[in-house]
Amino acid sequence: MGRGSGPRGRMALALAALTAAAVALAAPGCGATRGAPAAAAPSTLQATLVDPDGDGRLERGPGEPLRDRSDLGGGGRPGAVLATFAQLTDTHVRDEESPARVPFLDRMGGAFSSTFRPQEALSTQVLAAAVRAVNRARPDVVLVTGDIVDSAAEDELDQALAVLDGGRVDPDTGARGYDGVQQASDPDPFFYRPDLDAPRYPHLLRDAERPFTSPGLAAPWLPAIGNHDVLVQGEVPPTRRIDALATGTRMVVGLDPALVPRRPVDSAAAVDRLLAESAPGRALRVPADPRRRSLRPAELLARLTGRRAAPAALRAAAGRPTLDYTADLGPAVRVIVLDTANRAGGSRGLLRPAQLTWLREALRRAAGRAIVVATHNPLDGTDGGAAALAALDATPGVVAVVSGNGHRNRIRPHRTAAGGYWLIATSSLADFPQQARMFRLRRAAGGYALETWMVDHDGAGVAGPARELAFLDAQGGRPQGFAGTRADRNARLFVPAGG
Amino acid sequence: MTPRRRTLLAAAGVFAASVVVGTGATVGYGLATGFDRAAERADLPDVIARFDTEGRGRVDARVRALPNLAARSYRREVKQVPLAAPGHATNRGIAQIVLGGRRGYAITEGHDVRRREVVIERGLARAWDLHPGDLLEIAGARLPIAGIALSPDNVAFPLTVTPRVYLDAATVPPGFRDPNLALLWLADPGRADITLTQARATSFGIGHLEFITRDGVRVLLGQAAGIVISLLVAFSLVALAAAGTMLAASAHADVQRRLPSFGVRRALGFTPGALVLAQAAAAARVAVPAAAAGLAVGALAVAGPTRNLLAQLNEEAPGVALVPVLLACLAGVSLLVCAASAWPAWRAARRPPAEVLRGADLAPPRRRRGAGRLRAGLLGTGARFALAARARWAASVATVAMCAGVVGLMFALASLLVRLRDDPGTVGKRYELVARLPPEDAGAVRAIPGVADAAPRYVTDAADSFRLGEPLRLIAYPGDHTRFEAPPLADGRRLRTDGEAEVGVGLADALGLRPGATLAVQVPGGSEVRFRVSGVVRALENDGRLAYVRPARLLAADPVLGSELAVRLSPGADRDRVADGLSRLGAPPPRPAGAATTRDAGFLGVLAGVLRGVGLAVGLVCLYALVQALAMTARERRGAVALLRACGGGDGAVAAVLAGAALAVVVPAAVAGIALQRFVLGPLVSRWAAGFADLPLNPGVGQVVLVAGGLAALTAAATAVVARRAMRESVVAGLREE
Repeated sequence: MGRGSGPRGRMALALAALTAAAVALAAPGCGATRGAPAAAAPSTLQATLVDPDGDGRLERGPGEPLRDRSDLGGGGRPGAVLATFAQLTDTHVRDEESPARVPFLDRMGGAFSSTFRPQEALSTQVLAAAVRAVNRARPDVVLVTGDIVDSAAEDELDQALAVLDGGRVDPDTGARGYDGVQQASDPDPFFYRPDLDAPRYPHLLRDAERPFTSPGLAAPWLPAIGNHDVLVQGEVPPTRRIDALATGTRMVVGLDPALVPRRPVDSAAAVDRLLAESAPGRALRVPADPRRRSLRPAELLARLTGRRAAPAALRAAAGRPTLDYTADLGPAVRVIVLDTANRAGGSRGLLRPAQLTWLREALRRAAGRAIVVATHNPLDGTDGGAAALAALDATPGVVAVVSGNGHRNRIRPHRTAAGGYWLIATSSLADFPQQARMFRLRRAAGGYALETWMVDHDGAGVAGPARELAFLDAQGGRPQGFAGTRADRNARLFVPAGG
Repeated sequence: MTPRRRTLLAAAGVFAASVVVGTGATVGYGLATGFDRAAERADLPDVIARFDTEGRGRVDARVRALPNLAARSYRREVKQVPLAAPGHATNRGIAQIVLGGRRGYAITEGHDVRRREVVIERGLARAWDLHPGDLLEIAGARLPIAGIALSPDNVAFPLTVTPRVYLDAATVPPGFRDPNLALLWLADPGRADITLTQARATSFGIGHLEFITRDGVRVLLGQAAGIVISLLVAFSLVALAAAGTMLAASAHADVQRRLPSFGVRRALGFTPGALVLAQAAAAARVAVPAAAAGLAVGALAVAGPTRNLLAQLNEEAPGVALVPVLLACLAGVSLLVCAASAWPAWRAARRPPAEVLRGADLAPPRRRRGAGRLRAGLLGTGARFALAARARWAASVATVAMCAGVVGLMFALASLLVRLRDDPGTVGKRYELVARLPPEDAGAVRAIPGVADAAPRYVTDAADSFRLGEPLRLIAYPGDHTRFEAPPLADGRRLRTDGEAEVGVGLADALGLRPGATLAVQVPGGSEVRFRVSGVVRALENDGRLAYVRPARLLAADPVLGSELAVRLSPGADRDRVADGLSRLGAPPPRPAGAATTRDAGFLGVLAGVLRGVGLAVGLVCLYALVQALAMTARERRGAVALLRACGGGDGAVAAVLAGAALAVVVPAAVAGIALQRFVLGPLVSRWAAGFADLPLNPGVGQVVLVAGGLAALTAAATAVVARRAMRESVVAGLREE
């Protein structure tokens, strides 16, 4: 551990500050057990986890049956199942030991929140627990709708792919063992230290860094790209300076609040401006790791499409500048995946004109099928999204647009002249409720019935404490209501004929 | 003695011991549960958070996100508020502006605060004799008193010098409606540490955040009265145990008296079981009404002082909640008397009737060495009479010894309280004066004639950084702190570096610390400061919840942390001259080093009242035991007394015989009582009241003399009573019996 104030340190500090500042300002959604509750049920239809007496302790509660929602019309008894698929989103696999992280920005107040999460060292284990839970639901395919990793780092992607594809996962980076703000030797009470602070979990960090084996998703998985997958902290395009920071040994853990902008700012410009200023701050010395460098977007796409287990539809997208592609779930259902990550920076989604052209063509080719669109950013929060929605409105057979980014469960009807479709957002694994979502598309009265329900991860090992910590987090999904209402979770969504 | 008189005498013994039980139970139960009762009644929050004044919306956004939160409310606390009522005034009032939500105080009279009204704390109402409807001047504004409030988050005025009043938000200008105080009620108070960890983690931007939990408040209230409450509770427990011993001894003696009738009934064919049942039933018939009366008298005797004591602590007297406790005591006393009667009866009844009829003692006869060596003379004769019934003598000695021990303990307690109040040395302080001067003046102070040493003393009240609700005090001296404060080491060694700490046993027990462990402290500024524990000390101050450190790390965390100079005087130094020297350096008049109890005269007066009540009850028991022993001796030796009178012995001779019998009980009892207090009761009370420190509860010479004098007086009184009764008997009747 040591204090640094040289030019290199100042640069790192300023960069880190701006990075997280922009994250927090522009994308609040992206940027929310010995003693752990009983293992979750296979789905929340049977049982889910609740805190009935408000004491902060999750207990197994009754299931939440599907609620019929006929906001768009339609209804009747659901018929044949056309496809069953799952959604994992905003998994935010992170290297919590990386010097490029900015967990200290929470304490600056103002617009900053959730730059530090008490359970952040357990992201791979939580994802593995969700993978196991999803496997038990036996989907035909799994949509992984972006923010697979937290900060576009190579080691984060390595870990995420190991969990999703299956195999040995090594969450530890740098030297063996945990090095970061949560270690017991760090006398900074603003960071939760599991060895010392309540709820105490002695050795949790040691367990968090232990290699483990993931079964991997049993079904093929289709990725969509999120801002955190291509941008540092989901906000700033990677640069050599950032790589130098990330692969270095100086981890800034405290910053002069006066250096932090209080209003939304252009991230890149602010980083440039702050790099020129001195920024005293407290720092930890951590072991360097070259795998912490940022992946460039093309590298990321190549890694995703070049996987041995990648479905053919995904492989076909290799070499494109954006990861837009289609995949069929049987003869009657087509998934259209759109890449909404803005490579220039910022967490707001972007669809370029070329992507819109491609989308219109893809919709045309999907005629006669039920269509599900998968994106990271909700289309109504995406530049160019209105045009995309207009294209969907004009296309018969669109059932739903499935997205993430906001870390919140939400289901909204989108009405069109022909009837409409559903806009479905799903919560993150980074924040409470740490759930995946299941879908079952069925025929119903000439239209469709899209049944959807949440799946709690299995809570095995350190994933249990991770969920407890996520629930307790005063900046996390519990106080922000990320679980949504019951109607946002388990519902039978009718899409009328002609919709 | 007629059976009726004997019964009355036995009942008197049960009554007297029950008076002690009643006083002990009332004081002990009242003090041990007073805080919880008051907290329950006042709906005291589980956590009180203080912070720099902040916009309510900003604070509430953080607070409502906390886990385990059941309810919340806010207040603005304004200090140094002038308060005045006819005949009274203070500039140290605290006005709490109630900003809606749950109150955290109970209205004991009148109604809750409304616009242009004020609610005042109960202590202020009592001290200034204020009532609902009276006017109180607050910062120049005269407001009617709407009600009287009880809130046990601090001791009451005037035990604390800052009386509290409550105002409605509509009464004050809008600028006073931003909170600096949050009251939190938790769904599960046992998980307060989890809530506080999250509160701390999200407290960024909120200045000087400090938490105190309900348990922390309990500790602080205890500390406000010093060690007094713990001592009283421990003393009550000892008094209860003593009363039990007295009851058992008394019942045992009563069975001794009945032995001849056991022999007769056994000879008539009664089974041992039937005799024991009859004995237990007879004992119960005497014990239940006598114990009920004694318990009631004991409870009533100390109810008033206990209520006043609790009121000064902002706590609640038990009221009717004491009834089940007294009923349990009644059952306990009755059972004890029955058991103490039945057991020796059982032992006696199982022996051959002829042996019992011959007047045998409970135990098989042994060689009586002591009696044989007693010198002749009336006193010696009396002593031989007393020693003849060995078991009864032992029971009487046990009773009186226990009384002597308890009385001795009371004297030691009183003496300790005075020393704790007046003598800083009692709590390990070696400095006598505190001067409000900056640290850099220490050298100049050392140069003042009569000053042996001086050093800056930094004190800050903080919290354990890992549990947050545990309050503690950090005391820092540059260099060797034992020059100024040297509580004895219980474990480890003295601190040697800036990173080390000596922690009090109270703190070590609360946090599970031992030498080599880490003490992590959250200082008021929000930073965490860590020390390695080098040693554990038996410090009395702050209930032992303190740590001695060096100031470097504290000053790094809080550069504006203030200090005062601790001044140690040379032996025989003139304090006035030293004070003059200090004032020449610009210091205000120095104050004496503080000790460990309050100086509030009212509080100490109430305490004295409680002790007097218990002491009176114990004295009654002692007198009873002596009268009973002498009366039994006089009855058994009726013939001998008659013979003495027939031979020309007058009042003096009879009194001398009885005095000899009394002395045979009192002298060993006095020795045993003093030993009991020295080796059993004193250490017991010390451990129960303050296991974290060494309380000097050994009897002094003066106290021994006082106890002996008291016993002598009681002996004289008992002798006079019994001798007078013996002289009223007919000589002939006595001789006929002989």
